Amino acid sequence: MSEATLSSVAGSAVVNAGRQKALRRFEIGDRIFRVATRSSAIAVLVLLGGVIVSLVQGASPALSKFGFGFLISDAWNPVTEKFGAAPAIYGTLVTSFIALLIAAPVGFGIAVFLTELCPYKLRRPIGIAVELLAGIPSIIYGIWGMFVLAPFLQAHVQPALIATFADVPGLNRLFAGPPYGIGVLTASFILAIMILPLISSISRDVFDTVPHVLKEAAFGIGCTRWEVIRSIVAPYAGVGLVGGVMLALGRALGETMAVTFVIGNAHKIHASILGPGTTISATIANEFTEADGAIYTSSLIALGLLLFLITFIVLAISRLMLMRLEGKGAR
Amino acid sequence: MTDSAVQDVAAPSAKLAEKMSVRSLDFYYGDHRALKSVNVKFYANQVTALIGPSGCGKSTLLRVLNRMYDLYPRQRAEGEVLLDGENILDPKLDLNSLRARVGMVFQKPTPFPMSIYENIAFGVRLYEKLGRADMDERVEAALRGAALWDEVKDKLTTSGLSLSGGQQQRLCIARTIAIKPEMILFDEPASALDPISTAKIEELIDELRADYTIAIVTHNMQQAVRVSQFTAFMYLGELVEFDQTDRIFTAPRERRTQDYITGRFG
Amino acid sequence: MSRLQASRKARSAIVMGLCYASAGLGLLALALILGTLVWNGFSGFSLSVFTRMTPPPGSAGGLLNAIAGSLIMTFFGVLIGAPLGVFAGTYMAEYGRDTHLTTVVRFINDVLLSAPSIVIGLFVYEIAVVPMGHFSAIAGSIALALLVVPVVVRTTEDMLNLVPGTLREAATALGLPRAMVIRHVAYKAARSGLITGLLLAIARISGETAPLLFTSLNNQFWSSNLNAPMASLPAVIFQFAMSPYKEWQALAWVGALLITFAVLTLSIAARVLGSQRTSQ
Repeated sequence: MSEATLSSVAGSAVVNAGRQKALRRFEIGDRIFRVATRSSAIAVLVLLGGVIVSLVQGASPALSKFGFGFLISDAWNPVTEKFGAAPAIYGTLVTSFIALLIAAPVGFGIAVFLTELCPYKLRRPIGIAVELLAGIPSIIYGIWGMFVLAPFLQAHVQPALIATFADVPGLNRLFAGPPYGIGVLTASFILAIMILPLISSISRDVFDTVPHVLKEAAFGIGCTRWEVIRSIVAPYAGVGLVGGVMLALGRALGETMAVTFVIGNAHKIHASILGPGTTISATIANEFTEADGAIYTSSLIALGLLLFLITFIVLAISRLMLMRLEGKGAR
Repeated sequence: MTDSAVQDVAAPSAKLAEKMSVRSLDFYYGDHRALKSVNVKFYANQVTALIGPSGCGKSTLLRVLNRMYDLYPRQRAEGEVLLDGENILDPKLDLNSLRARVGMVFQKPTPFPMSIYENIAFGVRLYEKLGRADMDERVEAALRGAALWDEVKDKLTTSGLSLSGGQQQRLCIARTIAIKPEMILFDEPASALDPISTAKIEELIDELRADYTIAIVTHNMQQAVRVSQFTAFMYLGELVEFDQTDRIFTAPRERRTQDYITGRFG
Repeated sequence: MSRLQASRKARSAIVMGLCYASAGLGLLALALILGTLVWNGFSGFSLSVFTRMTPPPGSAGGLLNAIAGSLIMTFFGVLIGAPLGVFAGTYMAEYGRDTHLTTVVRFINDVLLSAPSIVIGLFVYEIAVVPMGHFSAIAGSIALALLVVPVVVRTTEDMLNLVPGTLREAATALGLPRAMVIRHVAYKAARSGLITGLLLAIARISGETAPLLFTSLNNQFWSSNLNAPMASLPAVIFQFAMSPYKEWQALAWVGALLITFAVLTLSIAARVLGSQRTSQ
């Protein structure tokens, strides 16, 4: 009978003996599981260490041969085995900078639109659409840039830019030369479009952390929408916005496929941003499998090491800033 | 309160056996001393209620009895807690074995995200290898013991989360008794439930007394009166008074106890 | 209305107008990309995409070997990366909550999450391709696995942190050892969240190109040998799009459409699962 089964055995030696056996089994299992999970966590650290060590190792022949000059030389000659990183670094920084210049204001605009202006019903669908677009692989942006954007810029935008700024001192050098279509400016555009969803969705999340009462209080004393955003939302969310932009910068700096298609792969620093150039990642993607000779390969790995260090610093700063905002929200 | 006060109450009936005995127990959250030299006894087959204003340490005391506090860093207990004469604060003690012997039912129902049947069979399977028929029998016995069988016998495979709050709480009780503990700790088991479910739980606790030693934390004095034979009143981390329930509520010896049960504070 | 107030209103209206414009611009750009993708993808689309191998220059063919290669390497990438990620995330949320190790790992993991994937490719080249002496699908899978890890670590930790502490206590109170509490109760409660993380990780790696370029390389023919170079959709798209041949370019668009479709499906599935969890 049921009650009998439950009560009579309670606390009896039979049950306890069975339990002791089971418990010993558990203890081993528990220890194994704990060690396994902890080792995995440590493996993540080792991974990062491994990446750095292996890159340093791979880069050392080139770095010891060229020394500090590797950073500032613009030579790139596989035949004479003279390599310098300057054009790639320059291209990486310039394309990312221009991309941010375009994407940050537009991204903030979209975020403001999504949090303040958009009809309530459309907020979720548009927000989700933006987030989904952030997940589209960069190679898609790359081939679109090559087949659609570059020809369009070549035919319509670049001639106009060249003509417009031809007589403006300074700017005429920036927008000089034949309209190639592909080049630094095109790569920047593609990068801008690619990081746009990222900036928009992070900024929107950051705006959402601003307490409603703060905004209502400001509206209550008669502030216009713009004044509320500038004086209440922006200062409150400032750290988060900068963190989001830095995160996007990290992505742009390391982006490979979106750029490789349209940058032109020229190891030269042109004054004109219409001219072809290269970036660190595009150089590696284009040349690594064809590189022959230890110094050539090593130089490319040295470029990778540089890229990793640059993005690591940018991403670390971005994470610290976003963490500060999270701390604010928790308080 | 002094040790002699505890001895006083041990006297009422010679038949009562001590199941668990807490001796000069101190408890710390980091540097904060939450329990101060607490002495109390839990008698076999009796319900002991822990009452007191919130923050008095009654839940803390309960969580020492199955060493639940061990889950968290920076919490520690000093003193002695004897279960059948064995000190459960001994660091070498196997905690899982202790917790299988001293079950616990929480304030909010906590069904696991699995079927009603599995909620009960899951814990049993850890310690005992039962055949299908034996397991079915055990599950039924546990559900009957928790007065839930008639309500769920036709839907044992549905999720435990689909039950009502009161049913979920009884499922948690069934789950606890299925692994045959010797003692059950209730941490305000009815505070999240409606009056009807509360009455069922209280009735159940009274029935469970036949087989188990029971400790219950409650903020509801009427509940203490209804379900318990012994009551301990706690205040600011101290155990102020421990006695038979009817005496605590009719003739308290301590001024603070009297103030509390007459509603002057807390 | 005073002049000051009027100018304030006007300024606000202008800025808000700019916000509308940027939203329009951004969405237009993204719509254009998807539009051309769908148009070009479908115009090159036929059944032979799934039945024939990648063709030599100047002739028609399909993407069968590339699709298979992508599936194989993604599968092994997840097989290697996901358990590591789940375990590490489990340590951070369960055993090692509030430890220094967890804080450091979380930070490093966040950095790895958005580190350039091409660097991961270089790393795997150094540790796998160089010692083995040749490119291989194994190396490609390892590279993808290293991209899976940070995504899974992050979601596992987040999802386990969402499991209420009372549930853990309740399981512990039954005498369950910690490992059992985690595996049978916490994992079950967080299951849909964990699957969401897995889907997101697959979405992330299914379009990755850079790390495959110098690990699995490419292969014009059918190969199921893990120890040899293997084709993959992204690598084929890269090669074909950069080529001057019309047939190859058309296939590149088809491949791009396939990848985008797969990634969007995975992300939407992850999202639906995620919202189911929150509505519970």
